[in-house]
Amino acid sequence: MQIICIYDVESFKKGSETMRVRRAAALLLALCLALFSGCGRARTQEEPAFRVVTSFYSMYIMALNVTDGIEGVQVENMAGQQTGCLHDYQLQTKDMKNLEQADVFVVNGAGMESFLDKVTSQLPELSIVDTSEGLWLIESGEDGSHVHEEDGHEHTEDDGHDHGEVNPHIWVSISECIGQVENLSEGLQKADPAHAEQYRANTEAYVEKLSELRDRMHEAIDPLPNRNIVTFHEAFPYFAEEFDLNVVKVVNREPDSQPSARELAETIRLVEDAGVAAVFAEPQYPESAADIIASESGIRVWTLDPVTTGPDDKDAYLNAMEQNMETLVQALS
Amino acid sequence: MEFLYSVIDTLLPFEWTEFNFMKNAFVAVLLITPLFGLVGTMIVNNRMSFFSDALGHSALTGIAIGVLMGVDNYLLSMLGFALLFAVGISAVIGSGVSSADTIIGVFSSTGLALGVVLLSASGGFSKYSSYLIGDILTVQPEEIALLGCVLLAVLLVWGLFFNRFLLSSINGDLAASKNIREGALQKIFVILVAVLVTVSIKWVGVLIINSLLVLPAASARNVARSMRSYHAWSVGVSMFSGVAGLILSYYLGTAAGGTIVLVAAVVFAVTFLAGMVSGRRRAA
Repeated sequence: MQIICIYDVESFKKGSETMRVRRAAALLLALCLALFSGCGRARTQEEPAFRVVTSFYSMYIMALNVTDGIEGVQVENMAGQQTGCLHDYQLQTKDMKNLEQADVFVVNGAGMESFLDKVTSQLPELSIVDTSEGLWLIESGEDGSHVHEEDGHEHTEDDGHDHGEVNPHIWVSISECIGQVENLSEGLQKADPAHAEQYRANTEAYVEKLSELRDRMHEAIDPLPNRNIVTFHEAFPYFAEEFDLNVVKVVNREPDSQPSARELAETIRLVEDAGVAAVFAEPQYPESAADIIASESGIRVWTLDPVTTGPDDKDAYLNAMEQNMETLVQALS
Repeated sequence: MEFLYSVIDTLLPFEWTEFNFMKNAFVAVLLITPLFGLVGTMIVNNRMSFFSDALGHSALTGIAIGVLMGVDNYLLSMLGFALLFAVGISAVIGSGVSSADTIIGVFSSTGLALGVVLLSASGGFSKYSSYLIGDILTVQPEEIALLGCVLLAVLLVWGLFFNRFLLSSINGDLAASKNIREGALQKIFVILVAVLVTVSIKWVGVLIINSLLVLPAASARNVARSMRSYHAWSVGVSMFSGVAGLILSYYLGTAAGGTIVLVAAVVFAVTFLAGMVSGRRRAA
């Protein structure tokens, strides 16, 4: 009797254990199902006729202008409004999902989207518009790099995410931006011929606004007496080229690295010797190093916006450039 | 501050003290490194080097919480989280469920992962990567005052509790028999380490903060003969590595934090060899 009793208890225990395992498995299964069905529902949502995904903010603003007011065309910014330059950007699962449902992926090109080959190998069908195509490019480190005979330290550390051979910050020059807008428009016309006429009209209007702004900026900036500037993060060579500014030194070519003490000291001496008029930081990055240079050498830190983050507004580029013009006029006169 | 600058100018009229940012960094190093040397001795004694590492990692989550709450100064959110984290670790260890290194490992990786997930949620982790390697050059005069306060506080705690710390780290039973409450004592120490790590993480960096805690004390153990000389060596090595590393980084153009740690590592190698040689001589 006793033995049977014990046996019974054992089997009961065993039974409850398998029950528990089974219950856990059932729960897991239910969870998975809930998750998947959730995804499924999202997919059956009504989709726009033509979906444009841009890699980051600057491209997004261009695309907003080119597709302005066209029914059934939706523009979405993959990296979000606050990511800024795609230095070091890690593709996330939601990005790939986003791209999978896109009709066109608009990229800056010139090495800015270092993850692009991953995208093309995963989604070979996706049509990509490279807005830098055929544009004039500056070799990376060609401008203002004479002081930057580096110890190699920052470079070895950042090897993974340099932009390659050319500087990708093309859109900061208005002329180049116009070229990019035209490339973008052509790409969209090819991919979505139904709306080609509207794309063309929008592009014409936007390019007109841009070139009008460029003329005004030349008028304001050309007569300024002092043209030596120091910038942070290599976003301004194209801009400097357009307005004939002399970038004496770029500190922090990679925005996420800290300048070494020697680099800071050299920059301060350079600022003092070359009569640099102003140090320009960017709103997207912390100013600590710029503040150091400014307070040691007694010149002011100003903010120039390369338009890599900003409001969700199609005039954001125009407004930011207008602001940059005012800043330059104040800083350099 | 002006007075301090002129003192440095007269005492150290070198190229590397020409600019104020280097003077600031120099003063900050003189304040931080003795702290690390001092607290490091007990960390090495109690085999807690893994613990301080975990605290460093938790700072990332602290920053992320600060970012989410939209505060400009992450010090408070980091400090709050680090204290929570430290007390949490020591409570879980105290429960005796699993070995200390396993629990610390669990907490450490959780703190790091949570920080990475929260900070990269917007895809912009690189903005915060300066916290990984630290940046002593951006230290501001107000922050130097803060470091001075922390130094004073740590010295005070050390003066009050050192004997009890020491006894409980050497022999817990003996300490208990003398009516020392080990649990409370451990909490005090853990909080001390949390404050130190949090306050200095911005300039030293998550990845190397632990080396600064461990290396000087480890070097000191190689050569010290008594508790007093152990402390003196540890503080001395720490300050020497800090100052030498800072100066070297200026002339070599390298990252200050990493250079300081490398100097400390070289000192460790030298003291290790010296300790071996003298040990053999005594044996002979």
